Amino acid sequence: MSFAVPLALAWLAWAIPIVVFYILKVRLRQAPVSTTIFWRQIYDEKRPRSLWQHLRHLLSLLAQLLLLLLLVFALAEPFFTSEILQARRIVLVVDNSASMKATDVKPSRLEAAKAAGRDVISGLRFRDEMAIIAAGAQPRVVCGLSGHERTLRDSLAGIEPSDGPTQVAAAVELGRRLLADAKHGKVIVLSDGCFPESEKYATSETTEDDANNVELRTVGTRVGNVGLTNFQVRRSLSDPIGYEILSTVTNASDEEVKCRVEIDLNDNPVDVIPLTLTPGQTWSKTIEKTSVDGGRLIARVKHDDALPTDNSAVAILPKREMQHVVLVSEGNVFLQQALKANALVDLKVVNAIPEKYEAGTLYVFHRLTPEKLPSTAAMFIDPISGAGAWQVGEALENPIVTKQDTDSPLMRHVRLDNVLLPEAHKITPPPGAHALATAISGDPLFFSFEPEGRKTLVLTVNLDKGDLTFRTAFPIMVTNALGWFAGQSGDLRESLASGAVTEVDLPAATAAMPAASFALQSPAGQKKPLPPGVAKATIGPLDEVGVWQVVRAADETADAKKKKSAKEAGNAEPPVLELACNLSNNHETDLRVPEPLLKADVASLASTGWFTRPIWFYLIALATLFAAVEWYLYQRRWIS
Amino acid sequence: MPLFGSDFLKKLEYLSIVSRRVFRGSLLAQRRTMQFGSGIEFADHREYSAGDDLRYLDWNVYARHGELLLKRFQEEEDLHVYFLLDCSVSMGFGTPAKFDLARQLTAALAYIALADMDRISICAFADRVMTDFPLTRGKARILPLLGFLENLELAGSDTDLTMAAQEFARRKQRTGLVVLVSDLFSPSGFETGLDLLRHRRYEPHVIQLHDPKEARPDFLGDIELYDVENLSARKVTVTEKNLRTYRRLFDEHQQAVGTYCRNYSMGCTQATTEAKFDDLVLRMMRTAGAVE
Repeated sequence: MSFAVPLALAWLAWAIPIVVFYILKVRLRQAPVSTTIFWRQIYDEKRPRSLWQHLRHLLSLLAQLLLLLLLVFALAEPFFTSEILQARRIVLVVDNSASMKATDVKPSRLEAAKAAGRDVISGLRFRDEMAIIAAGAQPRVVCGLSGHERTLRDSLAGIEPSDGPTQVAAAVELGRRLLADAKHGKVIVLSDGCFPESEKYATSETTEDDANNVELRTVGTRVGNVGLTNFQVRRSLSDPIGYEILSTVTNASDEEVKCRVEIDLNDNPVDVIPLTLTPGQTWSKTIEKTSVDGGRLIARVKHDDALPTDNSAVAILPKREMQHVVLVSEGNVFLQQALKANALVDLKVVNAIPEKYEAGTLYVFHRLTPEKLPSTAAMFIDPISGAGAWQVGEALENPIVTKQDTDSPLMRHVRLDNVLLPEAHKITPPPGAHALATAISGDPLFFSFEPEGRKTLVLTVNLDKGDLTFRTAFPIMVTNALGWFAGQSGDLRESLASGAVTEVDLPAATAAMPAASFALQSPAGQKKPLPPGVAKATIGPLDEVGVWQVVRAADETADAKKKKSAKEAGNAEPPVLELACNLSNNHETDLRVPEPLLKADVASLASTGWFTRPIWFYLIALATLFAAVEWYLYQRRWIS
Repeated sequence: MPLFGSDFLKKLEYLSIVSRRVFRGSLLAQRRTMQFGSGIEFADHREYSAGDDLRYLDWNVYARHGELLLKRFQEEEDLHVYFLLDCSVSMGFGTPAKFDLARQLTAALAYIALADMDRISICAFADRVMTDFPLTRGKARILPLLGFLENLELAGSDTDLTMAAQEFARRKQRTGLVVLVSDLFSPSGFETGLDLLRHRRYEPHVIQLHDPKEARPDFLGDIELYDVENLSARKVTVTEKNLRTYRRLFDEHQQAVGTYCRNYSMGCTQATTEAKFDDLVLRMMRTAGAVE
């Protein structure tokens, strides 16, 4: 046995005054009495017990000396060398993924795991150290290696459930790094086993000296569950107001399940689909709908099960904006009808070049060309002059399209190689122009360029001749062009799976709103500032299902206060960006604890028997006992 | 503060007046003796026998019944009152000391007796008779008596009532009332001494004094009991249980004194040092009146 603080043994010197006082015997208080006849009767009767009375004083001295000895030993903090050699390092990995919110074990699997964790903490010996890792969407060290029980308990209690997927493997790896080369290291995983590598941990052999020792303790049962494992929406590529919904429902149970999927857009019913799912079946369907409006599309599976998190999913449907188009033409029915056919187009036809151009309006010039480019987006069809930007040359007879940019959104679903184009004009495009369709001679027939940020399209083909207007490619070309001008590149705002990390574009900085003032707001309303002064920000992992928003961060300036008051008045500023986040994870939806894990017996965990406290603790306990004995003896002298 | 100041003397006078008005003839003096003699108060008749004084023949009875009966009269004589005052060291215990109260009581009762023309004597004792105030009579003797009491000091070792009673009874003196003023903390007991006085035809009256702390001591733990009489010391551990036993033994001793006096028709007054001497005298007077 050794002592951590051997200097404390000097306190044993207190034994000297105790013994001296005992030997000297403190002069007794004198009590004068008028007669001792009554006292003699009392004490002469008890004479047979006088030996005990003498012994009682000796016992009292011994109790005092023992009390001192124990206290001094406790102060010196004795320890056995074996304690240090046998000290263990344990990493407790607590799975707080979405499946741990299941309520098949009351109150939840996570709480059951925490209870098991508390048992493990109780089983820690003195000098053992433990770290706690939460294996949610992103493994996180909740508490570093510590032997302080209360700290460990508080850290364990502070683990909140998340909606993210299990990251047990990464957490175990992190735990192993924490263990480093500890001789008696162990990783204890508290999980429901609903992750791919679970059976590997269950079958791993455990040895005391293996630093990579991993024990898995499962919580939960083989309860069935039905959940939405995928839910996406996107705008139709061909229909300007159409959209398509992809929903996938998985029956992760051993029984047939009847349920219903309800889909709402901004709380307006979109569709209701009754389902009968066989055990293990995954139902998937794409639904086409139309709506100009955008908003939150929410799907709900009406089924009572242990995990409500995956019973609903959300997707963001981009809103379609009306597009103001002015057709400047002396008349072309095909072009006019192609523009008019688009439900999002507010078309106005004029036959003369306007004197002023309205911002935000698309001007389509057919055979009429202004002297210079308009100050807004414009499309030129069969231009007769260069508008100060390009040069119009001689006519091209029967140009054949031999090359077209199929990657451009402007040429999506468009093929011009077999279209008869009897007449076109040879045009020398401005520098920086992007050719979309090129004739065999190398002359561009369809090209785009963006002078000073203004989108401009030029089609050199004479629409009145040839069969372009009779081809289906023509309205598609027009639709593609309208979409390109409208800038509807965000037709698909993918719903992210929980735990995902994504990159978002932030609005450019303006004088009124610096780029620094953006924040990411969780579905629960918690805000986290985004890095200042960047055009793109990486956000995630998203560990909560629902709609995440990129909002302008509030500050305490006068301007911000003004906005705040406007928000309180109901004119809340819309978010900059919305991101849908769903569980969308088959492993998390499948709550059935694997059979081998249910049978695995790892109840021992870190239990070590009775003596888990440091030696000084037991010394103090013994000292308390001797103090009680001395108190009893003292009371015997006084109260009997 | 002097033991017998002017206030004390005023109280003595007051007590004397009260005793004459209310308890005349019933306390100490003017008591009828048990002897028959030439008094004026008729006692009873007895058979005439030859040689009797014919003056006491009851002629009325003879005229009526023809029997010769002699009238007997109770002889009146002055009473001898002896005060046996305990002056052992234990009497110095208490606040105020028992001895002070004992002396005041003795002085008061002696004054009442002297005022009634009785003869009084004071005998101070401890383990034996220590000193005496000789038999005296007349109210004028009160001041020497007070001086005697004032100069009396605590003496002796253990109280020995038996020895003192023996010494007192051996004296050639008339019997009479013996007022014993003591705490009766005698290791040899109090009964033998009182028996001795009774057997010698004295009429003992016991005044037992004690201090409240003697009845209810308040010390606990390891202490050294110091006997103020014999100067012996004893190291003991006083517990609550011991205290309870002590109180029981003390109370039993007090009851034993009372029971003894009742059994032998002796007057008994038990008081603590908290009592005033004049209140105590009045209490004794009332008790005597009730008996009468």
